[in-house]
Amino acid sequence: MNSLQERDTTLTKAMNKAINLDSPHAIKIDRDYKQTVGRITSTHARIVCKNVHVYYGEKQAISDLSLEIGNHEVISFIGPSGCGKSTFLRTINRMNDTIAGCRVEGEITIDETNIYDKGLDVVPLRAKVGMVFQKPNPFPKSIYDNVAYGPKIHGLASDKTEFDAVVESSLRKAGLWEEVKDRLNEPGTGLSGGQQQRLCIARTIAINPEIILMDEPCSALDPIATAKIEQLIAELREHFTIVIVTHSMQQAARVSNRTAYFHLGRLVEVGETNDIFTNPKHPLTEDYITGRFG
Amino acid sequence: MSPSVLLLTLLALSFAGYQTGKRRSLKIAGGKISELHSLPSFYGLYASLWCLIPPLFIVVVWLSLESSWLANSVISGLPENLKVQSNSDRYVTLNDIKNVVSGTTLGTQTDPAILNAAEHYRDLQQISRGLLSVIAIALALAGIYFSSRRINKNHRARNAVERVMTGAMVLCSTIAIFTTIGIVSSVLFEAIQFFKSVPVTDFLFGLDWSPQTAMRADQVGSSGAFGAVPLFTGTLLVSLIAMIVAVPVGLMSAIYLSEFASPGFRAAAKPALEILAGIPTVVYGFFAALTVAPFVRDLGQQFGLTVSSESALAAGLVMGVMIIPFVSSLSDDVMNAVPQALRDGAYALGATQAETIRQVIFPAALPGIVGSILLAVSRAIGETMILVMAAGLAANLTFNPFEAVTTVTVQIVTLLVGDQEFDSPKTLAAFALGLVLFIVTLILNVYALHIVRKYREHYE
Repeated sequence: MNSLQERDTTLTKAMNKAINLDSPHAIKIDRDYKQTVGRITSTHARIVCKNVHVYYGEKQAISDLSLEIGNHEVISFIGPSGCGKSTFLRTINRMNDTIAGCRVEGEITIDETNIYDKGLDVVPLRAKVGMVFQKPNPFPKSIYDNVAYGPKIHGLASDKTEFDAVVESSLRKAGLWEEVKDRLNEPGTGLSGGQQQRLCIARTIAINPEIILMDEPCSALDPIATAKIEQLIAELREHFTIVIVTHSMQQAARVSNRTAYFHLGRLVEVGETNDIFTNPKHPLTEDYITGRFG
Repeated sequence: MSPSVLLLTLLALSFAGYQTGKRRSLKIAGGKISELHSLPSFYGLYASLWCLIPPLFIVVVWLSLESSWLANSVISGLPENLKVQSNSDRYVTLNDIKNVVSGTTLGTQTDPAILNAAEHYRDLQQISRGLLSVIAIALALAGIYFSSRRINKNHRARNAVERVMTGAMVLCSTIAIFTTIGIVSSVLFEAIQFFKSVPVTDFLFGLDWSPQTAMRADQVGSSGAFGAVPLFTGTLLVSLIAMIVAVPVGLMSAIYLSEFASPGFRAAAKPALEILAGIPTVVYGFFAALTVAPFVRDLGQQFGLTVSSESALAAGLVMGVMIIPFVSSLSDDVMNAVPQALRDGAYALGATQAETIRQVIFPAALPGIVGSILLAVSRAIGETMILVMAAGLAANLTFNPFEAVTTVTVQIVTLLVGDQEFDSPKTLAAFALGLVLFIVTLILNVYALHIVRKYREHYE
């Protein structure tokens, strides 16, 4: 109990410190950004979240979160289980719509469009913001059809040659082409776990998104498959903005430019990945990355 | 002692055996149950099984052999004039004797020789039953003695009991199989009888169905024609109409229930739909005959169509409604079982709800959906009551749904009700039809399994 109170005091102190920080990055921190330590803004922001609250029925899952995510940036969300990082990720392409009783307050804009606007059509939004899930979920179709599915429903290809081209280039980008080029007609579910996950990434790339959300993409994979996915992320960052939720701090350190630390539904600290891991400003972050809890 | 009293005695003895075995094992353990190989109740069961199974076996064998032995010895004791007989007369005499024994004579004068024989029969039976009781009870007691002698600390009573139980389970599971074999062979042999008088090709490809045969030599007309094609087309037509009703309605309601309806609505609507399956078919039958058929006829008249008052259309429509829940309930279950991850995957690619249902959920659920439809088809083919009441009896070879048709099942019913002799082709035809019905449903089921397995490889 005591230590909790202590922590709260340190939290407040650290926050005040952050607010008073006068570094060039700390652009006008007003009331909106009070709870987060570090630089929440981005110089060329694409995704802008302001005072986001997410509720599951009565329960509040995210409170007062503000964050900007820049173009061609890889940002990773870390934090203990149940801290709301996956929930927040799903709000970015409105996948939380499929969860009954989920409610979002605040504002999230992507390229200056409010994605929670009543009149917004989620179909183009999700085509623009692709998502890869924790557990590989290829469709029960052939490898070819899995990749061709997105282009088909969005009309991105019109004849067989175009489809072939999209399928090949997506599988190449996902680093899977060499392994599956001779068995494109076999079911995607017959691949190994790591291959399935790369197939899901290829499927997402095929619709040519600008932002890719990854929800713990390696947690169901072995170390070799994980290494392949991480290498893939490093290649993909040239073309896409990537938001990745991960439980592995090493992974966050390896793949991302920026890292955000979540704790109990709050965004506690965000900053350059190197800074976060070498010089965490918030005591909660420090506790987590040094393995004292979480 | 009559067999039922003997049986009760044996049960009581086996209960006593249970107690003896249990007590003996407790005594051997001397309060430390953990030193025994098995729990005391297993020693009890061991003893009671030893006391029950051998006597029961003897009783069953004895009783099954007793009647023929009794018959033989009684018949051989008859005077010469009754002795030399054909098989059927012998059967009649034996029946007379048995009737006297059980006291159900019809008040007519009975031959004194028969009365004597009945006396003899009764004596013999009493001796046999007495002997059986003595042997069975002795065996039971010996069983208790033998088994409790064998009980000691290391005796594996549990294993022995479990072996017997496994045997009992195997026996139970084979009962269903043997019943099926029994039904199939009885239908098969009668059908072969039928095919001796009517060639298979005439039956399968003949276009005329008029099964009236002369029962007496002086009856006129009615030579009988057994071409079953009109029945097959009738069955096909009515099933087709039923499926045209049931498949779209069932699938649509399944999709609505699993993908669009709120959980509360689903919880209320699904049982309500399943009530349809609980209505007795005879109720559907008179609903079809008294409400739907006249309605269809009147409606047809307004459009200038001639619809007979018993039509394939009316029967098919009602049957279609009846099998809606088979399609909807099962399909709803399988679509619900498609993992949320697949839906999420499709939504995350920007698929609309319609695209997700059509291109992801439906194909993934297809084996189950096909299974549910085939189940509905075999139900439709085997359905009888609605058709007896609403489809008619006239064997018209037609594909016009406004005319009366008849089906395989309806003809089986009409062939087997009323006066009949069991060796005429008319009656035997029912078995041939049953055989065809059985083969068709078998093929459907095998095909359904095949489809389910084939797609399961692709889709899971």
